[in-house]
Amino acid sequence: MTLLKPRSSFPLAVAAIAFLFLGLFLLYPVFTIFKAGFLDPAGNFTLVNYVQILSRSFYQASLGNSLEIGALATLTTTALGVPLAFCLARLPVPGKALILVLAALPLVLPSFVGAYALVLMFGRAGVVTRFLRDLGIPFGSIYGTPGLVAVYTVTLYPYVVLPTLAAFKAVDVSIEEAGQNLGASRWRVFRTVILPVVIPSVLSGALLVFMETLENFGVPFVLAEDKPILAVEAYKLFVGEVSANPASAGVLALVLVLCTTTALLIQRHYLARRRYATGARAAPPELRASRPWRILATLYSWGLVLAALVPFFGVLAISFLEYRGPVLQGNLSLGNFADLMHRSTRPLENTVLLATAAAIGAAALGVPIGYVLTRFRSGIAHVLDVVAMMPFAVAGTVLGIGLVISYNSGWVILTGGPIIMVLAYMVRKLPFNVRASSAILHQLDPSLEEASINLGVSPARTFFKLTVPLMLGGIVGGMVLTWVTVASELSSTVILYSGPWATMTVVMFEALEGTGAGIAAAAAAVLILATAVPLLLVYRLLRRYELAVM
Amino acid sequence: MTAVTIDRVEKRFGAVRAVAGVTLEIREGEFFTLLGPSGCGKTTLLRTVAGFADLDGGEIRFGKRRIDTLPPHRRNTGMVFQNYAIFPNLTVAGNVAYGLKARSTPAAATAERVAAALRLVHLEGYDGRWPHQLSGGQLQRVAIARALVIEPEVLLLDEPLSNLDAKLRVEMRGEIRELQQKLGITALYVTHDQEEALAISDRIAVMRGGALEQVGPPAEIYARPATPFVAEFMGTTNLMAGKVAEVLGGRIRIAARGIAVEAQAQGHAVGAAVIASLRPETLRLLRSGEAPPSGWARIEATVARVELLGALTRVELRAAGGTPLKLAMLDLPPEAVAPGKAVALAYDPARVAVFAAP
Repeated sequence: MTLLKPRSSFPLAVAAIAFLFLGLFLLYPVFTIFKAGFLDPAGNFTLVNYVQILSRSFYQASLGNSLEIGALATLTTTALGVPLAFCLARLPVPGKALILVLAALPLVLPSFVGAYALVLMFGRAGVVTRFLRDLGIPFGSIYGTPGLVAVYTVTLYPYVVLPTLAAFKAVDVSIEEAGQNLGASRWRVFRTVILPVVIPSVLSGALLVFMETLENFGVPFVLAEDKPILAVEAYKLFVGEVSANPASAGVLALVLVLCTTTALLIQRHYLARRRYATGARAAPPELRASRPWRILATLYSWGLVLAALVPFFGVLAISFLEYRGPVLQGNLSLGNFADLMHRSTRPLENTVLLATAAAIGAAALGVPIGYVLTRFRSGIAHVLDVVAMMPFAVAGTVLGIGLVISYNSGWVILTGGPIIMVLAYMVRKLPFNVRASSAILHQLDPSLEEASINLGVSPARTFFKLTVPLMLGGIVGGMVLTWVTVASELSSTVILYSGPWATMTVVMFEALEGTGAGIAAAAAAVLILATAVPLLLVYRLLRRYELAVM
Repeated sequence: MTAVTIDRVEKRFGAVRAVAGVTLEIREGEFFTLLGPSGCGKTTLLRTVAGFADLDGGEIRFGKRRIDTLPPHRRNTGMVFQNYAIFPNLTVAGNVAYGLKARSTPAAATAERVAAALRLVHLEGYDGRWPHQLSGGQLQRVAIARALVIEPEVLLLDEPLSNLDAKLRVEMRGEIRELQQKLGITALYVTHDQEEALAISDRIAVMRGGALEQVGPPAEIYARPATPFVAEFMGTTNLMAGKVAEVLGGRIRIAARGIAVEAQAQGHAVGAAVIASLRPETLRLLRSGEAPPSGWARIEATVARVELLGALTRVELRAAGGTPLKLAMLDLPPEAVAPGKAVALAYDPARVAVFAAP
């Protein structure tokens, strides 16, 4: 039953603030960037930019590459993720709780660090590459498509595993028993009943993988080399090697947004109707499996989650080895960390400060929106629902470029300071915060709030006095997740930061081009620890979130 | 004590009229029940009184004061929710004090009133307990104390007993009724359980499809249902469709599928299509050779099935023409009543309800 309060101004106020915020810092910048694509240098309307950019085979290839790599990564994550989800849901695998923690970790570890770790280990001058070369074993190139797909696979497979696992667990055992009782074999029941019920969840996770690959900037920047990738080319056009070219960047931005929006729309409208509620009272029991199958399942589950973390463990290990310039020595050393901190501790402080500000801001904005979406079924709530998900469809690079174009002149100048970065993070993390808070609210019976209102407390005071305290554990969990993902954000940071406000990810980004492999490894290690520690500390709070991320 | 006037109240959800122009007068201190199957609009109607559903038409007044324009937190109603809605982050005392704090009651008075309210629901000494430490019945008591302590003008109860087990349900409904009588508070109660409604109410409104089907005291609703729907909803009954064959003063004779049914009824002309309702417990089994009491009518039937329920026995019979009949009697049936046996039944025509066929 929904809460319909007559003449309450609370949802209106929340909607007004949300529309204002997203209008100023999402819609207007995205509009400006699109507009830039339609203007010639004199400011007149033109299609020349589109014709010029889209007719060049280089940019056509960038679109083709982005889609191809996205599709391949979607296939690999699905192929690896679904069996893992099944093992975790239904087979006797030891240490499941730990596997789940490890399987969720890549979601919050910076994928860009994963890509970088791969280069440090398997790149041309990589640790493993050189070791193999010394042994006389030739090692192929990880640059280009193989490396990109590999990194996306190990960092994005949880997007498939988590919803699929939930779906497998949501199949009531009686459905399975009914199938068998009617004479179907176990395999037949799996094929005809369980799989169809699970597939919508698999697909929704897979589409999320696809979107993430399209908008990812850091991974292709590190690994693509000469292969043009949409998100990277938009950045390069904007920054400009000779001169900045916002008009051409606007064209690519539009193409990118169209791709992500299409994926998002498919996800929302096609799949939303295909969720089967089976109303499982309890998770279905583990299947009896023969010994070889048990061993296989155990090896597979542990193997996959550990293999996916190899880049991260690798970069941690490398950070403790001594570098002389770009050349790795064999001995242990804390020199990289000393160098990193000696240069400046400012990036670390910036990261902590900006991520904290963004986490607080995104929660302050996202929780009330989530509340209005869940508790009010009015027209405004539906519009808000769509608008609040829009940041999903706008790649970080595109948002960054849009913000710069919109706020570097005129009445309000925000570029060059920390505020514009925090605003970008808040916009980008808003959908997660909204979804997370509405997920907690779905578990909170609305009659609690009705009881409070009935006892004489106004709806707005009820929200702050009762609902927020009840949601607190969840809100804190959501803020921690926002914090760690902002701390490892690169795609909009790299466009919006200015000298004194460089973050840890920027330090790594810059070190990539120079000779500071050691410093970059140390920065990556610091970043991994800075994100993994708070996560593990609040793990209990976070468990219910793994699915809200979807 | 407050009278509640529900005046042509209308509530739509999209194209569905959840409450379709309902008008009701609930008297001061009355225990009034909205009864009906799920989806009949009873809960929606209750929620319009609480303010959780906007009106699409009509008015609601407490006494002479119009309240449907007030936001829900200013209506001073005490609501008991189906799932209790006990705040899990507050103790028992914290829950009960919640509404008093919202009214800025001084601390000393709050403590006193909370203690009194807990005494009222027999929860002395439970002040410091947390909701998760309480049983369903105890949570229910907290919910009632919390709703009563603010001295509401009207007590609203939304299927408050449906989450309790059968025995506790009977116990709690007695207590709720007793409390309401003691405090003399006007109560609006929603249930789909006709037995509960009959047991607890001063008056009942039976609802169907958003409209009132019949309003009256329990005995009248049960014994003199206004429609076949009410007759069936209020308990097992024998519904027999037929045509009026004969009108004799206050009595009519109805020809229904092979049997004749006699009823005391007015206003039905010969040849009119009617439906008669005869409750199973009004049918009496005649011992062999026994004559029916004077003025009673008689039916011959064959026993089809006997169902022993302990204190009660239900018997299914077939009358002439195959018309199925249900009979209920206290205690065990005589040995003569066994499947296949022919028996004679009698009933008082005054206990037969007759409706014009739709």
